[in-house]
Amino acid sequence: MTDKEIIEQLKKIVGEKNVQADKIGLTSYGYDATLLSGVGLAAVFPLSTEHVVKLVKLANEAGFSLIPRGAGTNLSGGTIPDERSVTVNFNRMKKILDIDTDNFVAVVEPGLVNFDLQAELEKEGFYYPPDPASYKATTLGGNLGECSGGPRCFKYGVTRDYILGLEVVLPNGKVIQTGGRNFNSEPEYDLTRIIVGSEGTLALITKIFLRILPLPAAKKTMLAIYNRVEDASQTVSDIVAAGIVPTTLEMMDNLLINTAEDATGAGLPRDAGALLIIEIDGHPEDMDEQVETIAGICKKARVREFKIARTAAEVDQLWLARRVVIGSVARRRPSYSLQDITVPRSMFPNMVSGILQIAKERNLEVGILAHAGDGNMHPLVLFDQRIEEEVERVHLAEKDICTLALELGGTMSGEHGIGLLKKKYITLEFSPVAMDCFAKIKNSFDPRHLLNPGKIMNLQS
Amino acid sequence: MSNEIVNRIKGLVGEDHVVDSPAGMVRYLKGQGQPLAVVMPGSTVEVAEIVKLANKENLKVAVGGLSVESRGLDGGLAMVMSGMNQVLEIDHANLTATVQPGLSHAEFSRILAEQNLVFPPEPYAPKTGSVGGCFALGGADSQAFQYMPVRTYLLGYEMVLPNGDILEVGNKCIKNVSGYDMIHFAVGSRGTLGIFTRLLVKLLPPPAVKMALVADFASLPKACQAIATLIKRRIFPTRLNLLNPTLAARIDPGAKGNLVMVDLTGFKNSTELLAEEMAGIFHLAGSGEVRIVKEAEAYAKLWQEWLDLRGELNTTWAERVLDFNVGPMKLAAVLQALADITGDLAAYPGLVVEGLLGRVRLLLPAAGEKEEMAVKVNTLAMSFGGNVSGNFGSKLVCRAYNDAEMWEGIESLLGQIRRQFDPKGILAPGVSL
Repeated sequence: MTDKEIIEQLKKIVGEKNVQADKIGLTSYGYDATLLSGVGLAAVFPLSTEHVVKLVKLANEAGFSLIPRGAGTNLSGGTIPDERSVTVNFNRMKKILDIDTDNFVAVVEPGLVNFDLQAELEKEGFYYPPDPASYKATTLGGNLGECSGGPRCFKYGVTRDYILGLEVVLPNGKVIQTGGRNFNSEPEYDLTRIIVGSEGTLALITKIFLRILPLPAAKKTMLAIYNRVEDASQTVSDIVAAGIVPTTLEMMDNLLINTAEDATGAGLPRDAGALLIIEIDGHPEDMDEQVETIAGICKKARVREFKIARTAAEVDQLWLARRVVIGSVARRRPSYSLQDITVPRSMFPNMVSGILQIAKERNLEVGILAHAGDGNMHPLVLFDQRIEEEVERVHLAEKDICTLALELGGTMSGEHGIGLLKKKYITLEFSPVAMDCFAKIKNSFDPRHLLNPGKIMNLQS
Repeated sequence: MSNEIVNRIKGLVGEDHVVDSPAGMVRYLKGQGQPLAVVMPGSTVEVAEIVKLANKENLKVAVGGLSVESRGLDGGLAMVMSGMNQVLEIDHANLTATVQPGLSHAEFSRILAEQNLVFPPEPYAPKTGSVGGCFALGGADSQAFQYMPVRTYLLGYEMVLPNGDILEVGNKCIKNVSGYDMIHFAVGSRGTLGIFTRLLVKLLPPPAVKMALVADFASLPKACQAIATLIKRRIFPTRLNLLNPTLAARIDPGAKGNLVMVDLTGFKNSTELLAEEMAGIFHLAGSGEVRIVKEAEAYAKLWQEWLDLRGELNTTWAERVLDFNVGPMKLAAVLQALADITGDLAAYPGLVVEGLLGRVRLLLPAAGEKEEMAVKVNTLAMSFGGNVSGNFGSKLVCRAYNDAEMWEGIESLLGQIRRQFDPKGILAPGVSL
């Protein structure tokens, strides 16, 4: 089939309005939140499971590949197309099919934006815990593809923990349902878990059964400022050891405190070593006791400022620095590369000092943002994309950071995935036996490598 | 030939760790199969060598903690992991433990209690269950509303694959999305993908306060109504289980009717308030007697009895148990409709409800009725948005939708995965997918 014929067929399947095939229009679907980009054969917007089935069948017949895409906010190059691929944009399949608060389930289409679901749930006093920072734009299908996390994960877990079941189209065009509306619905192998986080390489998700929870009755937000990162880190360990599981333990280092202060003028001390936002939720009767315990722990760790938000406005005030921080680095340098390593909590101080050491060696500015409770860190490596030599050093620093995380018993991806960006490092983390297992999984689902080829790892068909 | 193989296995693991007399093997085997030998490896390398040998000689291998399912294992090897039962590390800073798979689940809980730590999953069978078995079986227990399904406690493992390769995955991080999620995929695979040789598990600090409520209800609908009221009022205890009078009498000889068993754990203030509030709700809903159990020994005894009962359902009675799930708020209506099929549920051999999960287990009068009942019960469960659990349930759902294509899609995918990992089909012959 010629490209032109393929495009004609695509139009027959989803309708003329739902196909984008001119090269200029396609650039909109060729990039994500990384520096990578590509131009595919076409971009299509299916409206139903039936459309997806037909697309898969056509892809099998005509021999092109399919790249599933939500909002393209991923940080892994996971949705970058090549010239032999058709991007399948799910953002026109965005219906909420059911919200059943009595039984803690919502059923949605994959193109639904995380925020739009949250807004609907909130009306009923419910929420869906995974809250990636990009939740205002990201689609749930994309969240599932990457198994997104977010600040609340420490207490509530990541995306995979909230998926009860899926309807997917397999690469052979068959539609199956995995799991269902309840725990214990899986047909033997936990197909739901292997598909969630598979970065669109195993199946195309067309329907999602999500676990939803009632909003907690009470919440408390605290801000702690330290002279040294080690003290913040000690606080985190001690809170956990005290049996308190905060929803959020967000940390920013000195560089980011300064860029945030540049942007907001909120009055953060510029010489502070680290800032910690601590949030707990639960029964109203338990809040005071926990806040008191946390205050004691912070004090023991030589906190220099400790604030408890008394009003909603004060909560916003405490969160202000964290909300603006990623944007705020733009005042310093035009580009940043956001890393995503995770280390065991006990290795947190070693990782922080290691990153600062790498920054020094590579002559780069690196700010550290972390979901400190779970050891997930996002070092922001600042640079200027126009200076080639500096970009080279950024890549070297990326590799150094991944290698160090692995040396400290961690992983190179806590919540963003591997995609194209970290593919070249994946064998640092996984043995040949593990890589062979991945290949077996891929070949069981997609022996012809039709779905998102070249992501996570390279395979011979 | 078979003698020679047994001798080679003795050479691999030592004579003392192989049992090949039929009389000696009995205590390690479940079912009627007749394996060549029972072998008790002491290390990962030994497991790998045995599997390689089995591969070469085309022997089936089935694995268990203390005892092994012998179905389909004629002429094969029963691997008992009780020799690999050590706690290798308890890491307080990261709240993890590294253990060998043959470690008894109950023993592990005891060791952790001494160190002021908790491994929440309920043992599959308190007397015989191992930590390896816990993850091989997976699932979600009656605490899962709060503590999540069993798989969420596995952070990594070492596993001998069907070809003898050793797979190591995972780390001490709860956030990890690198590569395909082999870690959680292995949970519930019942020994078909490989043999666990080391497990890295997540632990929790213990709750500040633990107490239980036991409420006796003469009427099953009223007990269900009480459960629904709690959920409506957003009171979510750690466990919210219900037993019919036949089973209630096993746990509490003084019980007259249906028993609602509540486990409440958490911080002191809220737990005490909730216990009072729930006791009030149960009285209003018509409970004849509500007991609050605060004393540690009585609390422990109560939940041990629950675990023992659960163990019976999972083992001795397994062939007679029909397990299905519907939403928690649908329980009252489902049980009412179920009585049309079963007759008076109070007089039935057994009914166990895990209220927060909407899970129902029926203990049938006899094993022979299971399939026929499953079809009826599945139709009922589906009308409430649920289904009979497991593969069989999945098949029934497809059948009910007249969707042979979907069933074929699932079956061929499961088979394809199993073949990719175990092309000769040597592992877990008794497990059919």
